[in-house]
Amino acid sequence: MHPSGSGAAVEAVDLHKVFGPIHAVDGIDLALRPGRIYGLLGPNGSGKTTLIRLLAGLARPTAGEARVLGTRMPSRPMLARIGYMPQAEALYPELSVAENLGFFARLEGTVSRAAMDRALELVELGERRATPAMHLSGGMRRRLSLACTLVHEPPVLFLDEPTVGVDPALRVQFWSHFRRLAGAGTTILVASHVMDEADRCDELVFVRSGKVIAQGTSAELRSGAGTTDLEAAFLHYAGLDAEGRPLETAP
Amino acid sequence: MSASRILAVARRIAQGFRRDERTLGLVFVVPIVITLLLGWVIRDSEAGDVRIAVVAAEGSPIADALRTAAEDADLAFEVTVDDVADEAEARDRVRDGEAEVAIIVAGLRGGPITVVTEGTDPSGDAARIGALQALMVRAVTTLLPPELGIAVPEFEHETVFLSADADSLDVLAPVFLGYFAYFFVFILTGISFLRERVGGTLERLLATPVTRGEIVLGYGLGFGFFATLQVLVLIGFTLMALEVPAIGPIPAFTIGLGVSSIGSPALLFLLAVLLALGAVNLGIFLSTFARTELQVIQFIPVVIVPQGLLGGIFWPIDRLPDILQPVAQVLPVTYAVDGLREVMLRGADLSSPSVQLDLAVLAGIALFFVALASRTIKREVA
Repeated sequence: MHPSGSGAAVEAVDLHKVFGPIHAVDGIDLALRPGRIYGLLGPNGSGKTTLIRLLAGLARPTAGEARVLGTRMPSRPMLARIGYMPQAEALYPELSVAENLGFFARLEGTVSRAAMDRALELVELGERRATPAMHLSGGMRRRLSLACTLVHEPPVLFLDEPTVGVDPALRVQFWSHFRRLAGAGTTILVASHVMDEADRCDELVFVRSGKVIAQGTSAELRSGAGTTDLEAAFLHYAGLDAEGRPLETAP
Repeated sequence: MSASRILAVARRIAQGFRRDERTLGLVFVVPIVITLLLGWVIRDSEAGDVRIAVVAAEGSPIADALRTAAEDADLAFEVTVDDVADEAEARDRVRDGEAEVAIIVAGLRGGPITVVTEGTDPSGDAARIGALQALMVRAVTTLLPPELGIAVPEFEHETVFLSADADSLDVLAPVFLGYFAYFFVFILTGISFLRERVGGTLERLLATPVTRGEIVLGYGLGFGFFATLQVLVLIGFTLMALEVPAIGPIPAFTIGLGVSSIGSPALLFLLAVLLALGAVNLGIFLSTFARTELQVIQFIPVVIVPQGLLGGIFWPIDRLPDILQPVAQVLPVTYAVDGLREVMLRGADLSSPSVQLDLAVLAGIALFFVALASRTIKREVA
């Protein structure tokens, strides 16, 4: 199934991405196992989006290697087996909900009506099929964007802040769906800077300034930092005090 | 290369169009309205009357002879001839708009003749002076002693193509077909593709297995479809002449320009569509260099207007200054204009080397811009 032999669905090996003077991704190693949900946590500008773009094959690493299902990225054929949800929803405002979904489904090679219906039901937009995307609320657009990502039922999902602007009740449904997908073997990487979603992930990856500063389950990370609060744990691993200032006592 | 993905992109464009009434109006109604107005202006503008103030020496028969000649001649405008006392008054009349032309005859018989016009309407002046010269010849001939046996020559004007009474609309109409399609398709694709780049949908597309070539071809197909419909509507409108009789207070009018084409409409169509395909890909290519929709509009004076001036629409290419000739030779509109005119006015078909060249160049330009346009889509994998 996974020719790399490591058993990982998504791998990063000493991954670097440099934009001019900025080292957006600075030597990241990752191995994401199938059927698990990973939370990618870090402040704005920490390199989360760049890392996801490298893993999803939308950008070429300056150095190192990204692999999905054993194939080195970027790889165009592999894109059909990846679901990528960008941070800003990329929809055609004048197209209806069903037309937007149908368009992305056709590009991914899925024309099954059942698959499109399932995706629409999941995001509760079944009643809004004919509504042009420009007349949807922000949360609905976010949901439609997610439906477009899931419609071809890919085994690997990269979701860049998927629940921004989604109301709490629907957010719970999103997460239970992510859980169902993971149960069926889908590998999911969710980027977020909202710590309260982190507990829903199987494993967390803390990034700061393009580097992984800690990785493990929520409980492991908290006990390792000697705190019950995930936010405090993040600050601990980042070497910052409770006010976000660098700790003065070097170990 | 997957046909279904190309079709998906084309279909997306068509779906967007369907909901955008304003753009549909721009594509189908505006070209017709403009063509209709141009048709009216060119065909039905009236040539104004010409009032001539003549100053001649006492007893000179020239004013009377001119008056008689004007009555006899078959002119496009009404000519009235007035005797004026002196040169100053004649000039004043022209300056004050009481006469269009002043003729100052120095000698009793012959001698230099001065023609004075107001000067702010050079093309009108040229037409009036041309007609005056003909009148003058006629007038002078009548003054000659009859025993010389010199009669006023009669001209019979015949043409190889079209008819002798064809007007400039007949020559301009074929060009509108191509130029409108080029203009609208360029603007629409430029803006549409800019939205893809700026709105993040292009990046999202590139996260699917679609190739850059498929995107560009899908665009060509989608916008090409609308360009095709537009060209069909315009060809129909140009060739049609539907007389609508007067109904109550509305006077009778004609729908369509009634331009007579002697060539194949299918060939016209092919030429216009090839031109439009080039415009689609030029639009995609140039959208790379724009950040906003306004910046796409800013390409109009750079891309569209020079083609209108140098493409042979109003002035034949071979009469352009030498320095502009090579420029005209690389503009797609030049070849479309030539081809459309060859077909419509001269009845050329596919066997004509000139039409073959036009088709080949237009196809080549379209292919060139397909390649260029897909190159502008930044992607890590082809």
